[in-house]
Amino acid sequence: MVDHLFRHESGRLVAVLTRIFGIENLELAQDVVQDALVEAIHHWQYKGVPDNPSAWLFRVAKNKAVNEINRDRKKIQYSSDVIHYLQSKWTAGPALEYIFSEEEIHDDVLKMIFACCHPAISSDSQIALALRTLCGFSISEIARAFLTTEENITKRLVRARKSIRDGNVAFEIPAGAELEKRLDAVLTTAYLLFNEGYSASNGNEVIRYELCEEAIRLVQIIAGSKTILFKNNVYGLLALMYLNASRFKGRLDEKGNILTMARQDRSKWDAGLRDKGLAYLNQAGQDNKIGFYHLLAGISACHSMAPDYRATDWKSILNLYDCLVNIDSSPLILLNRTIAVCSVLGPERAIEEIQRIENIPSLKNYHLLYSTKAEFYIQSKQFSKAAACLETSIRLTSVPAEKEILRSRLDFCKIS
Amino acid sequence: MKDFLLILRTEGNVWTDLSPEQLQHHIKNGGAYIGGLIKEGKLKSANPVDKGSRIISSVNGVLKDGPFNESKEVIAGYFLIQANDIDEAVEIAKANPIFKDIPTRIEVHPMMPIAE
Repeated sequence: MVDHLFRHESGRLVAVLTRIFGIENLELAQDVVQDALVEAIHHWQYKGVPDNPSAWLFRVAKNKAVNEINRDRKKIQYSSDVIHYLQSKWTAGPALEYIFSEEEIHDDVLKMIFACCHPAISSDSQIALALRTLCGFSISEIARAFLTTEENITKRLVRARKSIRDGNVAFEIPAGAELEKRLDAVLTTAYLLFNEGYSASNGNEVIRYELCEEAIRLVQIIAGSKTILFKNNVYGLLALMYLNASRFKGRLDEKGNILTMARQDRSKWDAGLRDKGLAYLNQAGQDNKIGFYHLLAGISACHSMAPDYRATDWKSILNLYDCLVNIDSSPLILLNRTIAVCSVLGPERAIEEIQRIENIPSLKNYHLLYSTKAEFYIQSKQFSKAAACLETSIRLTSVPAEKEILRSRLDFCKIS
Repeated sequence: MKDFLLILRTEGNVWTDLSPEQLQHHIKNGGAYIGGLIKEGKLKSANPVDKGSRIISSVNGVLKDGPFNESKEVIAGYFLIQANDIDEAVEIAKANPIFKDIPTRIEVHPMMPIAE
């Protein structure tokens, strides 16, 4: 994984300055950090990069923050627990030292994570906001990652900040019963961010991988928190992310097409990431409480540990799916379960199971339902039925690379 | 927890007697003291008094304001702190490193809460 020092330092700075200015002035915090970055770059172009660039950057940001607060006191109201310290000669210096201590910065980043993933904000705005504030992505980088326009991302960010103001989103780490609920929301957002990077079959590959890295980094921050004690789901999600990320480089062929698990070159999988994933999986299971991410990670681990596709432990995978549908019987999980059914109980049984779910509204027009069903028909040698499913699937997908794969399967059915 | 107002009185001209080295020392120790109080959550606010204080007094029913009399002793500033009781507040006041640098008196006043 790449070290994005500046991107991440700016994320930390925005979190600290948001504590100082109050969350309703999030944009101001971002502007001040941007200013500090620009000043740093200008300075370094002439004088060279200092030995400790982040300390330099933090010092500039500190000064700019204090100037901002004391420049025109009446103009802006700050809802912050520390602002008054910075408005007194006696306390400003010591308070800055305290606010910028590692421990406090870590808490501020956590508070920012909870704020960005607050349920008052819509989920696509949450992700844009997290990338902008916590991950230090520029608007154009976010736009490229989501294959949309900068204008569109700007709109999402404006909406997100408005939701923060209107929803009275507090800049704090939730406590008590609230914590579990809010932590779930944070993990969901991180999971969506990861999937955004992982699942798309087009777009800039580098940026997409960075989305996955950022999702992991955010969850890792939570895993490192001393305030949050119950972290099973956190470890479960980290396990899932690392295990999936370990296969990132094997998922595509030379042309950039997505490869199914059976066709991936497993030598391209990253053993280091896999081992991290397995270690977290182990941690997630320590108190015998099994959650959604934990089960998904378990399934992912079965794939990761098989030396080749034929050696996959489908029995365990099917067991895990059977547990999973008790927690979450969403259509996609039911669909993926049928693949395990096919491997353990045979294609006829899988066809029966898929027929039971094919009328669920969200699956009805989903191309992967038909391509999956086609594979079951191929395995049971019912090639004309398979061909019909493949034609439906081709009609329903808009991604050229996927159409191409489906067409080659269709050709195979026609000659079989 | 109760609020206590600490009023710091010093002599107005003592600062000019300190060397740059002593001043630097004073700022460093004072900063560490104040930083510690902030970290422990005991300091609500603290401010030094600026130049130009005035005093308002009622003379035969007429309000007059005028400059502070240039007495030897001046109010250097205040701390508003939180402590469990007056004894803790006194300990906090005693720990102020300003005592090591210049002649100082600190008054410790308990603030009356709205309700007990």
